[in-house]
Amino acid sequence: MPASFLFLDDVALADLAFDAEGDSVPEVFEAASNAVMEAMADPKTVGATWERCVEHVAADLAELLFDWLSDFVYWKDAAGVVFSRASISLIQAGGQWTLAGTLIGEPVNQATQMLRNDVKGVTKHLYRLRQDNGRWRVRVVLDV
Amino acid sequence: MKCNTSMRVVRISDDVWEIPVTEKSGMLVPARIYGTESILRAMDTGVFEQVTNVACLPGIRRYALCMPDGHWGYGFPIGGVAAFDVRSGIISPGGVGYDVNCGMRLIRTDLTLEEVQPKLELLMTELFRRVPAGVGASGFVSMDRPSFDRVMTQGARWCIEQGYGWHRDLERMEQGGCLSGADPDKVSDHAVTRGRNQLGTLGSGNHYLEVQVVSNDRMFAPEVAAAFGITGNDQIVIMVHCGSRGFGHQVASDYLKVFEKAMPRYGITVKDQQLACAPFLSEEGQDYFAAMNCAANTAFANRQVITHQIREAFAAVFGRSGEELGMELVYDVAHNIAKVERYSEGELVVHRKGATRALGPGSPDLPACYRSVGQPVICGGSMETGSYLLVGTQRATDDTFGSTMHGSGRTMSRTQAKKSIRGEQLQQQMKQRGILVKAVSMSGLAEEAGFAYKNISEVVESVERAGITKKVAELRPIGNIKG
Repeated sequence: MPASFLFLDDVALADLAFDAEGDSVPEVFEAASNAVMEAMADPKTVGATWERCVEHVAADLAELLFDWLSDFVYWKDAAGVVFSRASISLIQAGGQWTLAGTLIGEPVNQATQMLRNDVKGVTKHLYRLRQDNGRWRVRVVLDV
Repeated sequence: MKCNTSMRVVRISDDVWEIPVTEKSGMLVPARIYGTESILRAMDTGVFEQVTNVACLPGIRRYALCMPDGHWGYGFPIGGVAAFDVRSGIISPGGVGYDVNCGMRLIRTDLTLEEVQPKLELLMTELFRRVPAGVGASGFVSMDRPSFDRVMTQGARWCIEQGYGWHRDLERMEQGGCLSGADPDKVSDHAVTRGRNQLGTLGSGNHYLEVQVVSNDRMFAPEVAAAFGITGNDQIVIMVHCGSRGFGHQVASDYLKVFEKAMPRYGITVKDQQLACAPFLSEEGQDYFAAMNCAANTAFANRQVITHQIREAFAAVFGRSGEELGMELVYDVAHNIAKVERYSEGELVVHRKGATRALGPGSPDLPACYRSVGQPVICGGSMETGSYLLVGTQRATDDTFGSTMHGSGRTMSRTQAKKSIRGEQLQQQMKQRGILVKAVSMSGLAEEAGFAYKNISEVVESVERAGITKKVAELRPIGNIKG
């Protein structure tokens, strides 16, 4: 099954909740990244003139994903950008996970981009990364 | 009493309900929920779980409260009020909310609907141009780090000194638009970077700028209204709802992590990770309080810069200055905050999250102009149904740590609302009803449809019957700007 995400109808009334899943750790990270980008703006309407590389190290995969998703929120405000795509590589060594990620997008442009929510943060409410039946799943609530 | 909980809910009065301490292990005080029976029945399960979780936190006094506009939030419910002993109690970012000092501001004018209606399209276009909104919007105020440090410590006063407003504005803000004890050294560089360019911006979600009308048939306390500068006769007023933007959120996120690590050291366990907290007088608690005050002051400054831009927009459209148009501030009040206040129990750290301070007549904390009538309480409804101006009471001081409702409260998720209507369709429907909407995001607009919210009038009636605020006037929207 391909990696996917779904925004949820009945969770977090005032905010935005989604489930993301994939067959592997990188796939669930990718699906969750796509959901956060979609929450902010339609990536198809966003160019690729801005790029930033980030790196995180953590023993806990859930913390690693939380920090990675928080990068989208931080750079959205710090650089005034929205995102068209992102890529990651994950390496496990010595009990630690290292994530090297690249965020790609362009400065906010109300005339050309389909903008959505000004996501203020990733929260830990209902936040859980788990593997069941061989499939990796995460539930995320974004504060908007 | 049938509602969305298996816990026993006891009727205290028609508008006050109590969950006894026996209903959940660890509750130190009862939980009290305000609202009519129908409001209570409609409340989501999260409210009951969360308000009783709050009742378990160390040092809580009297009750864990939830106002009738309450719904699920992070840790505390939205609409939550809780007061903790300064010496033995805690402080929690979950009790303040991510958007520190999200709040309401109301500006009066001498203009009438008859004067504004012919120029409404032009006015809304001008406001939309001058007050940036939506994803990634940055403000017109250029800010280096030393300037932003001064915003963090001086709040709205910094804006007045830069020419963004009038000195008398400061009298009509909670705490004069500046909380003491703010320390920029307790704020992360991440937070500063996120916040530095956002002064004077609305954001998105449920934040808005609204042009409203006060008609004579919706005035409930004309003498109090007159003290607030509200005269009716189709008078035009402007309401602003926004907060500390990404800056406040980063402060909250940073300290949730700090508190998660600190709790074991203090032997604190919580029922929900988002209730992470620390003793108020601990190093971590004091650091968060200092950083939160920075964010609160930034929010006061944000609303002050927006006020300046609103006055400029009106002046450009009507050819008279803001002063000539009588654009005085009615009040600015926070609804996401933690403050040290004195009650019969002594000094308490009062957390209000989606709840408004509501001081009654005679309070020394009120400006002289309002001391005889009480504090203006500004409650924002949905953009379709209107809003209310209320006034605080002594009963609120006695019963709810001087607190009341803040808005109407959601009943439907954003995702569900978007599936029910398209933004363009809603914009057209509202135009036909005489409400002109300018929005950056059409999907964001659909999320804020009136049907996604509780009936604000029922919520307002409920707090009035409970005696914790009184109605002054209803404010009907004619123009709205959303992110």
